[in-house]
Amino acid sequence: MAAAGEEVLMKVALKIWRYDSATGDRALKEYEIQAPEWATLLDCLDIVKDKHDGSLAYRKSCRMMICGSCGMRMDGAAVLACKTRMYEIAQSGHVPVVSAMGNLPIRKDLVVDMDPFWAKFNAMKPWLQPGYERPEDGREYRISQERMNVIHKEALCINCGCCVSECNAMESDPEFLGPQALAKGMRFVGDPRDGATIERLEQYNSEHGIWDCTRCFFCNERCPKGVDPRDAIAKLGAESVAQGIDRDMGAKHAKWFVKSAETTGWLRETELVPKTQGVVEALKQTKFALNLAKHGKVPPPFPPHVARDVNEARNLRKLVREQDRQGALGHVQGEHALAKLDHGHAGESLEEIYDRPGAAPRPWLPEIKEEPSA
Amino acid sequence: MSTTETPLKRVAYYKGCLASLSAKELDTSTQALAPQVGLELVELESVTCCGAGDIHEAEPDYYLHLNARILAYAEATGCDMLMTVCNVCTLNLRQANYMLQGDSGLLARINENLETVGVPPYSGGVEVRHLLWEIAEGEGYEKLKKVAHRGLKGLKVAPFYGCQILRPSKILGFEDPDRPWSLERIIEACGGEAIDYPAKIKCCGFPIIQAREETALGELIQPVEQALEAGADVMVTPCPLCHLSLDAWQQKLEAATGRAFNLPILHLAQLVGVAAGLDESELKFKRHIVDPRPALERLEV
Repeated sequence: MAAAGEEVLMKVALKIWRYDSATGDRALKEYEIQAPEWATLLDCLDIVKDKHDGSLAYRKSCRMMICGSCGMRMDGAAVLACKTRMYEIAQSGHVPVVSAMGNLPIRKDLVVDMDPFWAKFNAMKPWLQPGYERPEDGREYRISQERMNVIHKEALCINCGCCVSECNAMESDPEFLGPQALAKGMRFVGDPRDGATIERLEQYNSEHGIWDCTRCFFCNERCPKGVDPRDAIAKLGAESVAQGIDRDMGAKHAKWFVKSAETTGWLRETELVPKTQGVVEALKQTKFALNLAKHGKVPPPFPPHVARDVNEARNLRKLVREQDRQGALGHVQGEHALAKLDHGHAGESLEEIYDRPGAAPRPWLPEIKEEPSA
Repeated sequence: MSTTETPLKRVAYYKGCLASLSAKELDTSTQALAPQVGLELVELESVTCCGAGDIHEAEPDYYLHLNARILAYAEATGCDMLMTVCNVCTLNLRQANYMLQGDSGLLARINENLETVGVPPYSGGVEVRHLLWEIAEGEGYEKLKKVAHRGLKGLKVAPFYGCQILRPSKILGFEDPDRPWSLERIIEACGGEAIDYPAKIKCCGFPIIQAREETALGELIQPVEQALEAGADVMVTPCPLCHLSLDAWQQKLEAATGRAFNLPILHLAQLVGVAAGLDESELKFKRHIVDPRPALERLEV
C-alpha cells in the first residue's frame, strides 16, 4: 500500500517504430518502463527518452490537448499522445505499437514532415478577410450566438493532423486538400464577418477540393477535438450548392439525387452517369455500361421506378426551400442533438441531465431559444 | 424451412435504391433468408431514397425531411425496428434518427412539415439496424448457426466492412470500428474461414467513383489486392454500394493494371444464403459481373 502522496507505478510495455530518414534505417523496438498510473502515452514516451533511449524523436509542447504537436499512431490509429491514458492498456497486458502519423513523410521516429500539411492549410487563406458593414452608430459589430454556432465545431481545430493521417482519399490523391484544411476553410466560409465567401467556395471547389472527399469518415472518428471534418466538408458542399457553385461533377452527382428524390422518390440510377459526367464523357463509358447491362446492372429508365405517394416527397422539398435553411444551416440544426451522443445522453434534454439525482450543478449556459413555429 | 419454435420478429424493411434496382439479387436473397433467421420483413411502400449522403451534402434540410418520412412510415407499421441492408442507408437513417430523437424542437418542426404534406408524424420510436447486426448476435445469430447447415466447407472468405457501417462510431456504435468482428463471426458460423487483411475497414471509393474515378480506383485496389494475396476465394460485404464498386468496377481495375483479379464479391445475405442452401433463383449470381459460381462449385457435394 502506497503512503499518502506516494505515486503508484505500473509497468508499461511499448513497441515503437524507429526510423531515420537520413539512413533509411527502420526498426520496431520494444521498451518496458515504470510509469505512474495516471500516465498518458506522452508521459510514457518522456520516460523512454529520459531513462531508456535519449535518441527517440517525437514532438510535444503543451501536454494538455491544445497545441496539437503530439499527433501519432497507436496500433495504427491516429491519437494525441497527451490525451491517451495508458492504464487500461497496461492492465490488459497488450503491448501497443506506436508509429508516426500517415499521409505525411516521416523525418525521424515519430516526427513527420508537416510542410505539406501547412501548405494546404495556407492555401485556404486561413485568416479573416473582413467584409461586414460597420454599424452606423460607431459601435462594435455584434454577431448572434446562433450565427456563430455554424462554425462552433470547426473553430475547435488545433491543427494536429490526426484526421489527415487517416484520410483514405488523400492516400489515393496526395494533392487532396484534405479534412483539416477544408474544415479550416469552413471556419471562414461560415463566419459572418468574412467577405470572401464566394472566392473561397470557388477555390475549395477545385479539382482536389471538397468533391474529392470519399466519405470514409476516418477524420470524424480520429479527431481528438470533436471538429468532425467530414461534416465541415458537407457544410461546404451545401454552401456551394446553395450559392450555385455546382459545376464540379461531385456537385452534379449530389444534385441528381435531389432531382431523383423529388421526381420518382428513388435514385434514377441509369441517368446518374450522364447527369454527373455529361453526355460526351458518359458515351465513352459505353463498353463498360454494356457489360453492366448484360448482368441487369443498368435498370431501364422507362418506365421509371416510382415510389408510392412521391408527391409527398416533392411537396416536402418545396416546403423546405420556402423555409430557407439552405446551406450549412441544414447541417447545423442537427449538431445539438448529435453532440449528445458524445456524452452518452442521446435521449435527454439539458434540463433532464441536470435534474438527474447527484448531477453536477448546472453551469451557466446560453438560453437555447425554441424555434418559433411557422 | 421457417423456424417454428419462436414467432418471427416483425421488422420494417427498408431495401433502399440499389436493392430495388441494379442489385435486385440483394433483395431476393434477403427476402428468402429473413424467415430462416427469425425475421418477418414488413415492406415499406411509400418511402424514398435516403439521399445516400449526396442529399445530405447538397440539401441537408431536405435530407432530414426525407429520412424523417422514412422513419415515420416505418413507425406506422407498428414495428419498433427498421432493418436496412446497406451501409449508406444505415448511416443516413441512424443519423437523422438521432437528430430527431435528441432535439424536441427540431422534431416538432419536421413533424409539422410532414403533416402538411400528408405524412404521419414521427414520435422517435424506431431503431435503425442493419441485417448484419441482427444475425451477428443474439437470437438471430443462434438461428443463423442452425440454418447454415449446408456450410461453407472451409471456403476462404474476405470480410469487407465498408466505411459507413463502422464510422462514425458514435452513430453506428455496434462494434469497435478498428477491430470489428461481426462479419468474421458470421463467416465462421457458416463454416467458412475468415481471411484477415488491413483494408477490410477502409473505403472502396464508391462515393466518388463517378466524379473522381482515378482517386476511387486507387482506394478500390487495396481490398481487392490484399484479399487475394491473403488467399481469399470470395469476398463478402454488407453494403450494395461497396458491392457495386468491388464487383463492377473491378474490370476497370483490371484494365488499368493489366492484371486479372477475378475476385467474386458476395452480398452478406448471399453468403449466408449459400450456407443455408438457397437456390440460384433467390441468390441470382448471374447478376454479378464476376461470377461467384466457379468459386462456390467446390461446395457442391
